[in-house]
Amino acid sequence: MQLDAFRRELDGWLDEHAAELARDASDGDGLDADMAQLAKVKQMTFDAGWMRWGWPQRVGGLGGSPLLRGYLGEALTARDLVEPGTYSMTEVLAPTMIDYARPELAAEMVPRLLRGEEMWCQGFSEPGTGSNLAALSCRAVRADDGWRVTGQKVWTSFAQFAQRCVLLARTGAPDSAHRGITALFVDMDAPGITVRPIETMHGRLEFCEVFFDDVLVPVERMLGEEGQGWSVAMDLLPYERSTSLWHRGAFLQQRLQHLLTDVADDSLSAAELGDVVVQLFALRARSRATQHRLAAGERLGPETSVDKVLLATTEQSLFDLVASAVADDVLTGDDAAGARWRSDYLYSRAATIYGGSAEIQRNVLARRVLDLGPES
Amino acid sequence: MDAADCELFTEALRKAVQHGVSLDDVGWYDALADDREVAVATLFELQGEHNATSTALDAVVADAAGLPSGRILLPALDSAHAPATITGGRVRVRGICRGGLDSTVIAATNDGYVSLQVSDLQLRPVGGMDPRLELVAITGAVHGAVPEPAGWTAGVAAGQLALAHELVGTSRAMLRLAREHALDREQFGRPIASFQAVRHKLAEAHVAVESAKSAADAAWHDPAFAAVAKAVAGRSARTVARHAQQVLAGIGFTTEHPLHRYIRRALVLDGLFGSSRTLTSEIGAQALRTRHLPRPIPL
Repeated sequence: MQLDAFRRELDGWLDEHAAELARDASDGDGLDADMAQLAKVKQMTFDAGWMRWGWPQRVGGLGGSPLLRGYLGEALTARDLVEPGTYSMTEVLAPTMIDYARPELAAEMVPRLLRGEEMWCQGFSEPGTGSNLAALSCRAVRADDGWRVTGQKVWTSFAQFAQRCVLLARTGAPDSAHRGITALFVDMDAPGITVRPIETMHGRLEFCEVFFDDVLVPVERMLGEEGQGWSVAMDLLPYERSTSLWHRGAFLQQRLQHLLTDVADDSLSAAELGDVVVQLFALRARSRATQHRLAAGERLGPETSVDKVLLATTEQSLFDLVASAVADDVLTGDDAAGARWRSDYLYSRAATIYGGSAEIQRNVLARRVLDLGPES
Repeated sequence: MDAADCELFTEALRKAVQHGVSLDDVGWYDALADDREVAVATLFELQGEHNATSTALDAVVADAAGLPSGRILLPALDSAHAPATITGGRVRVRGICRGGLDSTVIAATNDGYVSLQVSDLQLRPVGGMDPRLELVAITGAVHGAVPEPAGWTAGVAAGQLALAHELVGTSRAMLRLAREHALDREQFGRPIASFQAVRHKLAEAHVAVESAKSAADAAWHDPAFAAVAKAVAGRSARTVARHAQQVLAGIGFTTEHPLHRYIRRALVLDGLFGSSRTLTSEIGAQALRTRHLPRPIPL
C-alpha cells in the first residue's frame, strides 16, 4: 500500500465511520473516557486493517512503510479522535517488542496492543533516577524460576490502566551503571505489584508510582539479553521522537486551528499568531524528514534530540498564545472548553521535562552531535 | 541526480563559489533547468557557507516568473512587492540589483515585466551593513515601456526559497566558527566547549540551523510554503548569530575574525524578499483573515 492511496482510502473510511468513531459524550471527559475512546478507535481501525499497516506480518501487521502509521496517527489526531499522549505508547513500545522480544512473545503480545485490547506502560524513571537513567536501582535477581524484581518506579504513565510493563531493572552490581541493566516484559497483575496514581497539575491521574515487591518475571520475558537493557532504552527513545512526535505535531496543528476558529477577532495579534505558525511549520518539516529517514531504514539516533527540542519549544509557544488569547477560559472557565484549554496549557509546561528534559536534550546534542568533547 | 552525481556537482560548485569561477562553466545553469531543487539548494547553501555572492538569484527568479534572462530588479528591502508599477504609460521602479549591473535591467510588475535601460534610472551602490553583497539600489520612472506578460508571484516564491537556503548556509558557517572557537579557546585551564553554558548555546544554534534546513527542504513541495520557510530561515539565522557572537565573544566582535561578515550577510539576506518579522506577521494576518491555518505539510 502506497502512502497516497492509504491517505485517500483512510480519509474516506474515517468520513464514512465518523459517527461510530466519535467520542461518546456520556463517557465524560476524564482519563477513563480517554482510555475507552482509545480502545474503541484502535479496535475499529485494527479490524478494518488500517492499524495493521506499517507493522511486520509476524506481529499481525500487513507490512508496508512506517509512513502509513505516521499518517494514521496524524489523521486520528487531526480529527480529535485520539489523544496523542495515550496513543503514543503503541508507537514507542511496539517497535521495542518487535526488535527485542522473543519472536513468539512479540507475535502473541503486539497484536493486543495494536488492537487496543491492552494498554502497556514503560517503567524507566525512579525516585532516584530522573535524567540520570543509568543509575537506576530497581533490582532483578536471578532465581530458579525466573527474575525476582524488587524496587520502585515513578512517573510511569498510565500504569493504572496497563496490563504489561516494559521494565528496566538492575541485574548487575549496584555500580554497573548502563552495563548492568536488563529489560523485562512484566505482567501488571503479577503478585507483588502495587500501583499508586499521582494527580498532576493539569488535573489528571496521568502517571503513577509502581512498587515491585519480589515480583516473579519468567526468564522468557527478557527483552534482549541480560545486561542489554540500556540498548533497549536507547533504541526506544528515538521512536518517541519519530512517529509519536509527528502525531503530536498534528495535535498542535489541530489545537491551533481550534483556537483560530473559536477566538474573538481582537484577541490574537497577527505577529504572535504568525510566530507560532512559523514554529509549527519548522517542527513539522523536521519531523517529516525524520519520518522519511525512519521509513528509508535509517537508524535514528541522538540527532532526534533536535526534534524533541523543537516540539517542546513549539508546544509551549502555542499554549502561551492560548493562555493570552483565551485567558478567561484558561483562568476562570469551568465549562468543558475552559477545562480543556486549561488542561492543555498546564500540560504543555511539562513538554520541556518529560522524555528527557530540555537540558538533557541540549547535552546530548552538544556531546554526541556537535562533538564538543566532555563536559567539565 | 543520484547521490554520486549530487556529490560531484556539489564539489564542483564549491570550488566555483570559493574561487569565483563562472557558474556556467560548472554547469549550474543546465542543472537549474534539469533539477531545480538540487541546483538551487546546493548553490545557495554554498554561497551562504562561503560568504560568496553571484547573480544566480536573478536566474532563479527569472526562471520561475517567466522573465527573460538578464539582470533582474529585485524588490526593495523588506518587501516582496513587484519592483515596477505602471500607471498611464509611466513605469515607476524601486528595487535592488544584486551582484553588479548590466546596461539593461528587467523590472517585473504584478503580471508582467519591462526591460529598461539602466542609464535612464537612478542608481545607488549600496555600502550599508554588508558592502560585500554588492547591492545597487535602483529607482526611477520611464515613459512608454510596454510590458510583456510574466508571473511575479512564482518569482517571489522561488527567490524566497533560494534565500532561505542561503541563510541556512550562512547560519551553518556561523555555527562552525563558534564551534571551532569553543574547542580551541581555553579558559580556566580547559576548552570553553566544556562549559555547559557554552554547550547549550551551541546546541540551541544547531537546532536553529536544522529547523531552517528542514523547513527549506519541505518548502519544495509547494511554492505556498516558500514564505514561511524564509521566515524560519531568517529567524534561525538571527538566533545562530546571537549565540555565535556570544561564544566567540571579543574576537568575534572584531574584523580580524570572519564572523562579522556572516552576521552582516544574514541580516541583509533576511531583509531581501521580506524579513522574517514581516513575513511572520503576514502569515499571521492571513490566518486571521481566513480563520484557517496554512495547509500543513503532507507526510
